[in-house]
Amino acid sequence: MATLLEVRNLTTEFVTSGGVVRAVDGVSWDVREGETVALVGESGCGKSVSALSVMRLVAAPAGRIVGGQVLFKGRDLLALSEEEMRRIRGREIAMIFQEPMTSLNPVLTIGRQLTEGLEIHLGMTPPEARARAALLLGMVGIPDPARRLGQYPHQFSGGMRQRMMIAMALACEPSLVLADEPTTALDVTIQAQILELMKDLSRRLGVAMLIITHNLGVVARYADRVNVMYAGRIVERGSARELYAEPRHPYTLGLLKSVPRLDEPRRARLDPIEGQPPDLTQLGAGCAFEPRCGFRVERCTADRPELRPAGGEGHVAACWELGRVARTPAARVQ
Amino acid sequence: MTKFIVRRLLLMIPTLLGVAVLIFLLLRIVPGDVVEARYVGGQGQFVSVEQMAMERAKLGLDQPLWKQFVAWMGGLVRLDLGISMWTGAPITEEIKLRFALSLQLAVMATIVATVLAIPLGIVAALKQDTWIDYGVRVFSIAGLAMPSFWLGIVFILGLLIIFEWLPPMVYTPFWVDPWQNMLQLVWPALAVGYRYSAVATRMTRSAMLEVLREDYIRTARAKGLWTKLILARHALKNAILPVLTVIALEFAFLLGGLVVTEQVFNLNGLGLLFVEAIARRDYTLTQALVMLVATVFIVVNFTVDLLYAWLDPRIRFR
Repeated sequence: MATLLEVRNLTTEFVTSGGVVRAVDGVSWDVREGETVALVGESGCGKSVSALSVMRLVAAPAGRIVGGQVLFKGRDLLALSEEEMRRIRGREIAMIFQEPMTSLNPVLTIGRQLTEGLEIHLGMTPPEARARAALLLGMVGIPDPARRLGQYPHQFSGGMRQRMMIAMALACEPSLVLADEPTTALDVTIQAQILELMKDLSRRLGVAMLIITHNLGVVARYADRVNVMYAGRIVERGSARELYAEPRHPYTLGLLKSVPRLDEPRRARLDPIEGQPPDLTQLGAGCAFEPRCGFRVERCTADRPELRPAGGEGHVAACWELGRVARTPAARVQ
Repeated sequence: MTKFIVRRLLLMIPTLLGVAVLIFLLLRIVPGDVVEARYVGGQGQFVSVEQMAMERAKLGLDQPLWKQFVAWMGGLVRLDLGISMWTGAPITEEIKLRFALSLQLAVMATIVATVLAIPLGIVAALKQDTWIDYGVRVFSIAGLAMPSFWLGIVFILGLLIIFEWLPPMVYTPFWVDPWQNMLQLVWPALAVGYRYSAVATRMTRSAMLEVLREDYIRTARAKGLWTKLILARHALKNAILPVLTVIALEFAFLLGGLVVTEQVFNLNGLGLLFVEAIARRDYTLTQALVMLVATVFIVVNFTVDLLYAWLDPRIRFR
């Protein structure tokens, strides 16, 4: 499969009262056509900012992209004019946001919010756009779409709003959808429905997806490949299967061990990662995960490891102690 | 929706009744009445106590308070405002022309304020912390700092000195000669509207800034909409609600509160009438004016609520 989106050395900074924060620090990842890629990490690790940087929607003036390239179908999005970029947003790359409660405009009807993209990007007439909007609502499983078009977001439940967001994202048949924690704000039962819907639609329409999440369950089930982020950098990347079976970075290992599993004995203890993510204004020269790491060696404090091959094809991890992590029995728990 | 309107209309009755009781009692707590004001205030002649009692009886002031109140209420229900205690003329006649003038001035000032405030507020929000924003803020604070009667004087002097022309000083109703009428009223409308726009500009700016940070604006941008469309369709409709409230309440205030500005432009509006009525202890006229202004306030508030419901669908279903 050809590469659809390639992010190279992307660096995004925020100016805060505490100093300049490098939320995304020289990150590279890619998404191939039709593929589902996950970006995983704790809150504040830079995963949402990465996606917003691709869309060039990082909130100015505090936030700005200071370096790197975002190649989409061979064009560098960061070099485009604002008008050229506008034509890509919603048409070629669409985004689904985390909070279905606040991400829809409360004073506009569902129909209006669905049709405006169709009218602008596809040049549809209002009746055409309306017909397609009804079709889209039906496609995402909202019953009685024609009537629903005239309603407002507050008349929709959380799950339905997220379905509507998905319909909105898929409206102009983009080739890539960036889904920023699409299910975090939803009930667990609804989460599964939404994810199944997204997976199903992306397969049927051949849309590539980037799923941003902190939920490893989501990753295991829906992603083809996974990027694990920590403190603004990617610390491990590989196929979802391999990452689960043989994590090579202590952080990935820690994430896996901190998730409760139904197939484990009930009394098995959870093993959370101790400590807090680091303050991004105070990063040292070494590995950002070092203070919380059970595998740390002297070298980690002074010398930051780069991504290097860690087993199977395309599996890379940024750790000096790959071998020791690999030999840890916990890493094989599956 | 109909239920909402009916309920709000019914709620007006206790509000107006409350205003009526308050103004009725407050006026009578203030020392002196119209008879004293007429005889004592004036030519320094001696008036016998009996004569004053007679005058009071003629005006019904010797009746118990509750009887006076009931009589007044009875008139109000029949939309009969009674006669002025001072002039003896029907109050409707006293108020009619002045109300038309004050209403026209308030409407014109509101138009000036809105036309100034909304674009300026939006521009300031979009260019936050640039010289454009500072410029708008200085302009609007200057408006707040300058009393509109002073600005009015500056206008008049400016017109006189630069153009050697004075706006007409005699009021012509709009329906008699619109041009003359406008020539006179446009200046006070500008002076008052400018000052009045200051609060609305700042409100527009801060409401816009708040709305522009909302998630749904980001969603709209992610959809690839034009910036202008995002502003007009997504942002403004949300930001306009608090601005509407400010503009509407100010409008109601303008009807009775322009005493000095009216003087500067030699306008015989409600403001001056209000001051005179109170000074003369003209109970019936003051009461009628207060009820009129209260009614305008309530009607304006009600209109704003309806506009809210129209602009924000979440309110409709409460």
